[in-house]
Amino acid sequence: MRNYIVKDLMVPISEYAAVPEEATLFEAVLALEQAQEKFQQNRYSHRAVLILDKTKKVVGKLSQMDFLTALEPKDANLERIRRFKQFGFTRKAVALQQEEYLKASPPIPDLYSKVAKKRVTEFMQRPTEGEYVDENATLEMALHQLTAESNLSLLVTRKSEIVGVLRLADVFAAVYHTMKESESLQGNGEAG
Amino acid sequence: MKELGKLFDRIIQRVNINLRELEFDAHPLINKLVPKDQMTKFYAFYGITPHHPLNLVFKHANLSGSYFLGKVRVTNSLLYKSDIRGDELKKNGDLFQYQDFNIPVDRDEEIDIEDCFLIKTLVHNYSHDPETLETFFIQNSVSTHYANIHGSPTDGSFLGPFSTVDLTTVQDCVIGAFSYVQAGEVSHLNVEPGTVWVRKPDDFNFMYRYPLGDLNNYIYFAAGSPPQGVFMDFVEDRKEAFQRVFSVVNIDSPVNVPSSTSLDRFAVIKPKTQIGENVLVAQRAFLQNSTLGKGANAQENCYIINSHLQGNNVTAHGAKIIEADMGTNVFVGFNSFLRGRPEARLSIGKDSIVMPHTIIDVRKPLSVPPGHLVWGLVRNAEELKTNSMSLSEFAKIKSRVCKGSMLFEGSGNSFVTAFQERIHHILEANGAFFDGKNNRGHAQRNQNISFNTIQPYPEGDKEGMYPTIIIQP
Repeated sequence: MRNYIVKDLMVPISEYAAVPEEATLFEAVLALEQAQEKFQQNRYSHRAVLILDKTKKVVGKLSQMDFLTALEPKDANLERIRRFKQFGFTRKAVALQQEEYLKASPPIPDLYSKVAKKRVTEFMQRPTEGEYVDENATLEMALHQLTAESNLSLLVTRKSEIVGVLRLADVFAAVYHTMKESESLQGNGEAG
Repeated sequence: MKELGKLFDRIIQRVNINLRELEFDAHPLINKLVPKDQMTKFYAFYGITPHHPLNLVFKHANLSGSYFLGKVRVTNSLLYKSDIRGDELKKNGDLFQYQDFNIPVDRDEEIDIEDCFLIKTLVHNYSHDPETLETFFIQNSVSTHYANIHGSPTDGSFLGPFSTVDLTTVQDCVIGAFSYVQAGEVSHLNVEPGTVWVRKPDDFNFMYRYPLGDLNNYIYFAAGSPPQGVFMDFVEDRKEAFQRVFSVVNIDSPVNVPSSTSLDRFAVIKPKTQIGENVLVAQRAFLQNSTLGKGANAQENCYIINSHLQGNNVTAHGAKIIEADMGTNVFVGFNSFLRGRPEARLSIGKDSIVMPHTIIDVRKPLSVPPGHLVWGLVRNAEELKTNSMSLSEFAKIKSRVCKGSMLFEGSGNSFVTAFQERIHHILEANGAFFDGKNNRGHAQRNQNISFNTIQPYPEGDKEGMYPTIIIQP
């Protein structure tokens, strides 16, 4: 069984979609599209954009979920409805109430156009301590960090520098292939 | 009055410590809510009957204008014009049923209030928490004007004006103004004003939220001022009538009532009121130019004005019915405000259920058909259409339904059945089904109550504080 380390699996930072802090949400999405076209190496496409400050330091990450969340209409009543979950309602029930509310509300004109012009920093997630992993860390360590906080990717560091992104999809593929190899060896009676 | 001030600070600190996670500060909200000199003015009183246990212990407390019945312990607390009604507490030997358990009760249950400030609050029923069968505790909490703590052990919580916690253990929660919570057990929740929430886990979940802009017209509560709005104006306008019944020692019954009916001497009965058999009129109820048919009841802080109740009507604590005609078996839940007008009467058909904390306020005649469930804010026929449903239709819900601001999930049949069973139980407990021999309830048992008064230190550091008092048979 191959002993992967993080740098074997990461996407180098140079191949990852990145935009400056001043970028709009639309510019971030364009950067993601370009990165997907340019650096697509396997069936798993890039799913997030890194946000860089003036010194090229990573200050945030915009995932596809963040992007879709940005498109959700926002007002105080919708926020109240979304809090229904804490009262024991299922997601389906909350969605039903939201739909009912939106049906009775006036349509929001040019919602997409308005959101597209907003600054990416408004919607990005700032990385937390558990989202950094050293490039020489083991696959097991990375796996734990991904699952413990339900992260979709980790920022890979070399000393204080960010050198890449470790994606859930790549870790999954590595684990899957290792498992497959191992099972195949056992099936052929070569294991142990 | 030094002790009173120290006690106030102690209580606020304890409440705030419990609510720190919610970043809630009770101090600005209640600092000037009841002037200290008001808290030294009024006597406290308690009831004695042969039908209820008598075991009252008051220690380091102010009790001004408050009423006590049954087995109650008050320690390190301020109780202002509150009713602590221990006539439904569990008794030694009772069996408490919880899920599949039948748990024996080892001693008479006690209401135990410690480190609390309760303002014009009603405490009633018994603890529904299977973990504290013999103690209905209320501790480290503040409740404000016309709140109801009904069968709900409460710890470290703040209850806004006209809020109700019902059959629910409440821990470290803020319950906003005019919110109603019946959910079994809740903790660390900030329930915003105007939330009506009834939940039985794994069975059903009902929620309605008032539009805040409209609710503020009826009740608005913010730091620095007492609660404001239609509800407060309504009760303040009728305050004087109560001053008379509380200041006179011997008061003649203002109307003749049948022998199976109980009319509390601390209720206000205005002219042209007729009261039928098996009726319960509790203290601080207000009746004017109204008819209460057989088996109807008017619980604490109810107002029934220019209205006709046909019979077996439950008007729960704090409900108000004005210019209305109610069919038989109509239930009006806690703190509901039903207001017709002389030229625009409100009628509610028989067997209907008006959910707790419902506001029906009409300027054109409005009829609720028989057998309907009504909730939320109803000011006209269109809002009635959105905020009501026939009980038979509601009982058909099997997954989820959303109507306007109401969301329901679970079994409609369980929800309707639970309400109907509870209404039947309330009528039974109140003595509505008394036949002259059997089915005796509060209406028959509460007829002959003697009232004694107790008073605080009149001056000095302990001004307003009551001495330690133990009252036993």
